[in-house]
Parts: sequence; C-alpha cells; structure tokens
Amino acid sequence: MRPFLAFDGSTDHVALALGDLDAPETLLAADDFAAPRAANTALLSAAERLLASGGLVPSALHAVAVGRGPGSFTGVRIAVATAKGLAHGARVPLAGFGTLDAVAWRLRQGGLLGIIGDAMRGEVYPALFRAQAGSAERLAADRVALPADVAREWAGHTERILLAGPGLHKHRKVFEEALGELAVLADESLWVPDGLGVLAAAWADRGDLSVSAIAGLSADDAYRLAHPQRLLPVYTRLSDAEEAERAKSSGASGVPAAGVAGPEAR
Amino acid sequence: MSFEFHTASAGQTERAGLVLGPLLRRGDVLALSGDLGAGKTHLVQGVARALGVEERVTSPTFNLLLVHPGRLPLYHFDLYRLTHASELEDIAFYETLESDGVSAVEWGDRFPGCLPPDRLVVVINREGENQRRFEVRAGGERSTRLAQQWLDAMSAANGVLP
Repeated sequence: MRPFLAFDGSTDHVALALGDLDAPETLLAADDFAAPRAANTALLSAAERLLASGGLVPSALHAVAVGRGPGSFTGVRIAVATAKGLAHGARVPLAGFGTLDAVAWRLRQGGLLGIIGDAMRGEVYPALFRAQAGSAERLAADRVALPADVAREWAGHTERILLAGPGLHKHRKVFEEALGELAVLADESLWVPDGLGVLAAAWADRGDLSVSAIAGLSADDAYRLAHPQRLLPVYTRLSDAEEAERAKSSGASGVPAAGVAGPEAR
Repeated sequence: MSFEFHTASAGQTERAGLVLGPLLRRGDVLALSGDLGAGKTHLVQGVARALGVEERVTSPTFNLLLVHPGRLPLYHFDLYRLTHASELEDIAFYETLESDGVSAVEWGDRFPGCLPPDRLVVVINREGENQRRFEVRAGGERSTRLAQQWLDAMSAANGVLP
C-alpha cells in the first residue's frame, strides 16, 4: 500500500481523502466540513486527524494531491501552499486536479452536469461534464464568465442538465430561468466537493502532474516528474473591470492568455 | 440619491456612524474617503458600536483588514497602503465583501472600478479644525435605500445635523 493525501480548499467547504496509489479509487478515509474563509486554520489539523485515523504520519505519505481551483482566491492559495509544504516536507510528488471536477465526480449521475463555481463580482466559473457509467467526462476547460451567458449557452444543448456548485447560491435563478425544464438542481449539500469526489477527481485527472501519471512510477521518478515546485493554481483570467483597473494603475500586462497565473507570471 | 451633512467634532462624527450602524445589513459596503485625520475611522467607530462590537476599533492602515465580531461581522479595510488593484485579491477583498458582514473601506476611492457599484460612498471634507462636511452618495438600489434611511434617522436625531 502506498497511501496519498488528497484535499480541496477552494470553496467554503474543505474536503480531504486518503487514497492508495496501488488501488485506484480505494478510499481509505475521508472528511469534509464547512470552513468559510477559514481553510487556513482548519486544513492542517483536519489532515493530521485524517492521517491519524488511518494510523499514519505525514512521512508515511507517498504523494499529495490538491484541488488547483478555480474558486475562492484565498482558499486556492491556502490549499496549494499547504499541499506544497506537505509534499516538500515529506519529499513526495505533488499532483493536482480541478475543484469543479471534484464536485462533478461527487455527483456522477447520468447525463449532463453543469458545475458552477463562484468567481465573485457577478461572475462564475462554469464547467460542463458528461456523466456516464460512474464517470464524469469534462467537456470544456475552466474559464470565467457571466452567469447569463453560460445559462444561454447551456440551454442550447436541449438536454436536461444537473446543476451543482457554490456559484448557485448567488446565481441559481439565472440558470433556472434560462434553462427552464432542462434545469435539475442537485441537492444543496452536493454543491461542494467531498472526500470521495476529491479522490475520484484526483484519479481522473490526465495532466502530467496527476495521480494517474505518477502512480506507475518509482518514488524517485515520480518525485522528479511531479516535483512540489511545479504545480500551479488555477486562478483563471481577470475580469474586464479588474484588467482595466490594473492597466490604469500599473500598466502591467496581467496574466498569460492561458489564464493560469503562477510564480513566473507575477 | 445623495445628501450632505456637517459635524463639528470627532464625537459628532462618531454619532453619525452610531445612527448608521443599526440600518446596516449583511453585504452592505461603505466606501470612505477623505484626508488623513478627516474622521473616517471615527465614523467607523460609531458604526462598530452600533453593531455591538466591543473591542477597540482603530484604523487598519498596516493590518489592511481588521475583522470585528458583532451583531454582524464588521470588515474594516484600509486601502491606503495598496499600490495595485491586484493586491485586492491578496487580502481576500472580494470574497470578504460578498460574505456575511458589513464592510467599511477606508480610502475606498483608490480603486473605484473594483468596488461594487451598489455601495454607499462617504466623502469627508475638512472645513476647519473640527468642522467636517460629509458628502453621501448611493450607487444602487440597496445603497439608495440605506442613504435615505440614514438621512431620515439623522434628521430625527438631535445633535447631528443633516
């Protein structure tokens, strides 16, 4: 058994799971709880409790996986920084997965899944998935958009869409109105990641810094490939107002076109 | 919606805040501007007292954000030391404004495009050693109602003249 810790702190809800690099989707232990803007005080102690429940200490971990966002800017940063600290300290690889994927994989019910993250300031992080046979296939990359634009776009699918995600707290009306009968709202308790969703999303990620990419490698090769310094959070691009304000106040160019800002971009 | 009022002492400025406090609701944003020493913090101290904040309220110039628990949490920002709008993300500005409390933003005119349009703008002008003229402007539906209620409440109260 090669245990690894996966967690997400990009929403107001913290979710953690203990998995096994030798047994995809085997859930050794899990926890999730509400922590609005408090991931900084709750995450590490929760990780410690979870490890202890499995009779483990941090040095027993073979990898760490973290939700890269998008979501709460502060939450993403706390989670990614915590993951980097843990992985550096234990000298193990650091893998990533999408926060919205963790919600989608929690649901994985048949049909289209529309996951809506809260981007603040009237905007959302939308991501569409197709769920079938216990999996959730992502149909579009992460981006930031106006809720009305996303709702109109999704209405064009003329297929029922199961909606979930923390962005619905502010914008569910927009989606319900545009989608009409096509909108099916998931139970509110399922709008955030849980341990199982986190673990499934971590295994499902196909990036080069993913659990599936390192699971088959030796410890040294995995560490070299997914060195803790490599992983970047997903912040997505800035809103127009902010771009304008930033250009006005600094003349700086902002984030790269890929929408992923990291150390080299700031 | 806009109006003006005057105060003649720091105590009167604090009372204006004391009158405003009970009218505030979750999600309300006050954008305060005026020179150093104009009385921004005095106004917030009045608001804080009205919200049931018991601890001392000081200007968060170096802290950038101070959180005061009360009937509603009071998020007291000071943007004076920020140089770029991008730093607003660093202090969780947007998440905090849209969360569960009242936000009072000193130097709220620094990055106007980054504040919600529906905010209550309070500009404090110095008109003498202790005399201050307050310009109050609302930018949306909620802040217009708030401005009207504040004006009514101050008209009803003695000592602080609209």
